[in-house]
Amino acid sequence: MRLSRRSFLVGGSLAALAIPRLVSARGLLTDPTLDDVVKRALGAATKAGATYADVRVVRHRRESVATREDRVERVSFSDEYGIGVRVLAGGAWGYAATPTVTAKNAERVAKAAVDVAKANGKLLKQPVKLAPVPPHVDVWQTPITKDPFKIPLEDKAELLLAVNREAMKVGGVKYVNSSYFANAEWKLYASTDGAYIEQETMRVGPGYTVTAVDAKRGEFESVSHTIAPLQAGWEYVERAPLVADARMVAERAVEKLKAPSVAPGKRDLILDPTHLWLTIHESIGHPTELDRALGYEANFAGTSFATPDKLGKLRIAAPALTFYADKTTPGGLATCGYDDDGVATQKWNIIDKGLFVGYQTTREQAGWINEKESRGTSYADSYASFPFQRMPNLSLAPGPKERSLEDLIAATDDGIVIIGNGSYSIDHQRLNFQFGGQAFWEVKKGKRTRMLKDVAYQANTIEFWNSCDQLGGPSSWWLGGTMFDGKGEPSQSNAVSHGCPPARFRKVNILSTNRRSA
Amino acid sequence: MKPLVDRVLKRVPKGGETTVSLRSDRRGNTRFARGEITSSADVERFTVSVTVQFGKRSATATTNQTDDGALDEVVARAARMAKLAPENPETMAPLGKQTFLKAKASDVATVKLTPAARAKAVGAAIAAGDAAKLAIAGFYEHSATQRALATSAGLWVTHDSTQASFSCTARTADGTGSGWAESQSHRAADVDASALAKIAVEKASKSATPKKLDPGRYTVILEPAAVEGLLSFLIGSLGARRADEGRSFFAKPGGGTRIGEKLFPEFVTLSSDPIDAQTGGTPFDNEGVPLKPTKWIDKGKVEALIYGRYWASKQGKPATGSPTGWTLASGKATTPPAGVNPAGSIVGSELLKGVKRGVLITRFWYIRDLDPQTILTTGLTRDGTFLIENGAIAGPVNNFRFNESPIHMLAKCDAVGTPWLTDGMRVPALRTHEFNLASISEAV
Repeated sequence: MRLSRRSFLVGGSLAALAIPRLVSARGLLTDPTLDDVVKRALGAATKAGATYADVRVVRHRRESVATREDRVERVSFSDEYGIGVRVLAGGAWGYAATPTVTAKNAERVAKAAVDVAKANGKLLKQPVKLAPVPPHVDVWQTPITKDPFKIPLEDKAELLLAVNREAMKVGGVKYVNSSYFANAEWKLYASTDGAYIEQETMRVGPGYTVTAVDAKRGEFESVSHTIAPLQAGWEYVERAPLVADARMVAERAVEKLKAPSVAPGKRDLILDPTHLWLTIHESIGHPTELDRALGYEANFAGTSFATPDKLGKLRIAAPALTFYADKTTPGGLATCGYDDDGVATQKWNIIDKGLFVGYQTTREQAGWINEKESRGTSYADSYASFPFQRMPNLSLAPGPKERSLEDLIAATDDGIVIIGNGSYSIDHQRLNFQFGGQAFWEVKKGKRTRMLKDVAYQANTIEFWNSCDQLGGPSSWWLGGTMFDGKGEPSQSNAVSHGCPPARFRKVNILSTNRRSA
Repeated sequence: MKPLVDRVLKRVPKGGETTVSLRSDRRGNTRFARGEITSSADVERFTVSVTVQFGKRSATATTNQTDDGALDEVVARAARMAKLAPENPETMAPLGKQTFLKAKASDVATVKLTPAARAKAVGAAIAAGDAAKLAIAGFYEHSATQRALATSAGLWVTHDSTQASFSCTARTADGTGSGWAESQSHRAADVDASALAKIAVEKASKSATPKKLDPGRYTVILEPAAVEGLLSFLIGSLGARRADEGRSFFAKPGGGTRIGEKLFPEFVTLSSDPIDAQTGGTPFDNEGVPLKPTKWIDKGKVEALIYGRYWASKQGKPATGSPTGWTLASGKATTPPAGVNPAGSIVGSELLKGVKRGVLITRFWYIRDLDPQTILTTGLTRDGTFLIENGAIAGPVNNFRFNESPIHMLAKCDAVGTPWLTDGMRVPALRTHEFNLASISEAV
């Protein structure tokens, strides 16, 4: 069947180069009838007047298990399949999609997409121009050793219940909620520019939250495990210290309930990677999305302080800090071979030694800042969603010298350590942010003294990143991430990771969120 | 949809009890920015969700395919998973035949809306922006949804609905002014893109070059969208189980709930109405519980909390189901607003009257909870923040981060305006006091 797929190709030599990889793939190409569906969709779009068209056939399989205390609350599986056709006609975009993947329907939605584009063309001011891309033909898959969908359900439920049992052994613990999910995203992408790419990403994420309650005082506190979702197989879940850590997490919840409220004021902050990844996501990731910086997200998520006139000029962070985008990071939730424009994924700097140097772009956007090629960050979260610019994995490089979180604590006279992500909120130009966490400790004269609660810090993005004076080393670098990065209208969800070492920030504004006595 | 339900039910193995949920959506949307359309789509979605139970074992499988092979697989998968799942003492048997309120929530004209009609509405908004030399961005979306729920015990209910929404943001060329407006209804005819664009444009122009105002506790007038933003956190805390478990604002110290406590002024009434089409009311929840019009807060008193089926049975209370169709205070929503004041605000002058010094807030952004026990939240103001002096709007000021609770917002409220449809709820503007605007946001 693979020969017939090759025969579909428009491109010549590049396609030939890709054949060895295609043949070595693990047999993803299972449905030969899709060749015809794809051809018919692209053909119908072209016939109806499209100057460019791409088609995505997408399947999402999702499994989840949720438990509390001694019981399994929910077991679910979902399978979503469908086809979406995106066209350019008269210089305007159009999109249409259906869950019924047949050649006839593919033609129907292709024509519908052209109708949408034509309706929009009347209001067009600047025709869309796409940066060139080689016509890639390839297969890409998440490297995994154990397919999570083949692991018995009982094993998943038992793992979570074992966590709950361990946590419930700790006196003062009243509730435990634990969960697990696996998502498989399969996609066949083809375009009139000659791309024919098949990819499957696998993402898994276990987690749990322990709650301690003081019924007499009517107070409660929760602590969650800091494990991150990852692009991986069941082997990641199996190796994670979920049960091993359950007592520790439970004891933290109990201690947090009894801990004193933080005294507000300016203090040094030491942020563990399990916390800092989210600060990077919000304050560096979002403002460097090019569409956002130019006003395309103004009605929803807002705009950005990092406008193109500041490229190469604005010192967003201290000189020791380099942030890079990378859709090839092993295990990164946004990692893949090609984006939803058919562009090969890559790594590039966003902030180089403190200086703002790069944006996240797509084929449509590259020309907006006079770049010749896309950075490959187009993504749509479903067959029914229009692909647009989404955040790649975006990480903070570690410092050159080996330093751990404990080293940073030892070097600090008066500060607070935060682990895990809690409440997070940032303004619509990504300047004023306020973050909480899962667990907080006071640091005095180089030592963790006691746990605190009700801690949040509020800062301005540029002042905050310029106040960073210590970074952990290569061994302390850790990859966090989220499955639910929201952007766009209608809102789409993107899975993305952020790696970083622990870091120290000087004299940050600490708030108390305690209103219980108010 | 009934034939499809029957095709599913006949596949369920012996001894299995089943709930089948069907949903079919056709959605159209057009997005615009910088004065032109940036993306637009017409998409179809479909889901068949099957929950199979064997006694206390239960699992759910979902597919969006309806051929025989897909239905075989989805039922077999749910059954297989249910057999493997550990027993859950909280599993409730599917409901039998129920009586549901009838809602008329589908509008024929909205079902038939085309990309060309969307482009026309968007064109009017773009023209309003162009005329004022402002960059305008926004989003028009409409949907036609058919839902059906059936159980092997004989429950059968359907609900057809439509929705249309339009929102837009206008920004001044110098980037110092921004204005926003939004509305939605089940009837596209209720959503006037041109009128909304004019509000956004007016507000952007009037909010340009804001003056610095220090953080602090202020009297604030919150437009409906801002009220809705905070209120949704209160609604999210109305679960009875969490209150009974001692981990909610509505838990009483020492045990029990706060039902019966008068926490808010007389004119604060929070209700839900499952047949209120304008607010997306649906007469049943995912388990098939028939929803009834309910007052959760009645004249300032906590009247009811939300009971799911299991918790209701355990506590000996009637199940409320998951409510839909929310309204704060009473009255008929006006769409578009009855009047727009000189700053583009949809707040009437009756709320401004008597305010010596305060802040008028258009909407909030990025609201997150800080402490579930007090429902303390944080977030930011955006798209039109104005100083009020001596009962009138004095001029634009910077945005703020707030750290405040919807409990405080309602407890300190002393006046409400005309209700307005925003983000699927009907809420009024309101005036409240000692609202904590905690730090300045430079964002516009």
